Amino acid sequence: MGKSILIAEQSEIIRKGLVQVIGNTNLFDSINEIHAASNLPAAVKRYDPDILIINPLFITPDLAVWLKEKRNANMRVTAFVYNIFDDDLRELFEDVIQVGDGRNKIKKKLAALLMLPTESIHNGNADILSVREKEIVRLLAQGLNNREISEKLFISPHTVNTHRKNITRKLDIRSVAGLIVYAIINDIVTVEELQQ
Amino acid sequence: MADLIITGKMKLSEIVESDKRALVLFPRFGIELGFGDITVTEMCMKLGIDLQFFLLMANTFLNPEYFPDRKLKDVDVDMLINYLVESHNYYLEERIPYLKGLIRDFKKNVDHPAVEQLEKFFDQYIDEVKDHLSYEDETAFPYMAMISSYKKKSGRLGQVDYSVQVFEERHDNIEEKLSDIKNLLIKYFPPANDRYIRIRLINELIDFEEDLINHARIEDKVLIPVVRQLEKQVKMP
Repeated sequence: MGKSILIAEQSEIIRKGLVQVIGNTNLFDSINEIHAASNLPAAVKRYDPDILIINPLFITPDLAVWLKEKRNANMRVTAFVYNIFDDDLRELFEDVIQVGDGRNKIKKKLAALLMLPTESIHNGNADILSVREKEIVRLLAQGLNNREISEKLFISPHTVNTHRKNITRKLDIRSVAGLIVYAIINDIVTVEELQQ
Repeated sequence: MADLIITGKMKLSEIVESDKRALVLFPRFGIELGFGDITVTEMCMKLGIDLQFFLLMANTFLNPEYFPDRKLKDVDVDMLINYLVESHNYYLEERIPYLKGLIRDFKKNVDHPAVEQLEKFFDQYIDEVKDHLSYEDETAFPYMAMISSYKKKSGRLGQVDYSVQVFEERHDNIEEKLSDIKNLLIKYFPPANDRYIRIRLINELIDFEEDLINHARIEDKVLIPVVRQLEKQVKMP
């Protein structure tokens, strides 16, 4: 599965610079950019990015609420900072990339956010799956079918299907009932959540 | 222990020595242990078992590479169904309750919230296996027995709603979930000071899985082609 990243930044010089640097990491098959905050929800829906890299100055109170909700379920969020920004916003981001960060440091931070297998294989069981895959396992465990999952995560049923195939391949578990047990073992879902 | 071809001259004890999976075959033919040095042919004569049929079942069951094609035209469907029903009974009355007990032991000894769910999963699975087996016993096999009776009296059968084609399409893998349970125990359940209980359980799951695969092979490679042949002879065009 190709990874995708969305860059949200007003300044064209900086945006293009980020596209260039991030392109050189070879971590992503698709890099998209937007320059206006108002387009963000639509762009996230359209591109379904694994990572959103965003200038904190973009973030309005409304957007902060939206972002909090999106972040865990759908994508990792990192700030790109070349200015002073409100410390209260820090909690919105899983990581912060600074304008002074070098190429390798940026690559390392992005790879960590993607939880690439080489980075995560020693962290135990649950890290075999990507964040998105875990989310899908969680929703399956809660009884959602492929169509419901695609609606909830704003991704196509085809994408859900691809994720499910990857999950099966990685875990060697084919049935939903088996995935439920796996999800409990790995704290992806709690027994209480199952019974909802 | 692969690729042993069983012949009439072999001693039953030799067969077990070389492939322990043969043990489960004996009860299905009414053969009891304690048989000394008796050969397959002698035992078949003693119990009135069709020797060729015994060899066909044993070889197909024990050897995935065994192609019984040549011998299929002589197979008696009633005998075959009898054998399959015996196997089903063995699963339902012997194998499944034993597995259930092992899972209960595992649950008693492992304190983990996922164990409860594993047991539920297993119970669900057992229900599916039971549905699968009772569909065969109550729908597929009676139809096949009827086809066979028409063949025996050289009758011709008019319109019927069922065919071996339907059976074939419905014949899904019941061992898939078993493999999930096995993988969960081998790969994902955290260590829990359960060593021997878990090993025993995994061993039994592996044996059961293999038994089901071998069983399904008999249905796919022998039962379905034989009945399809009969249908051609018995059904009106």
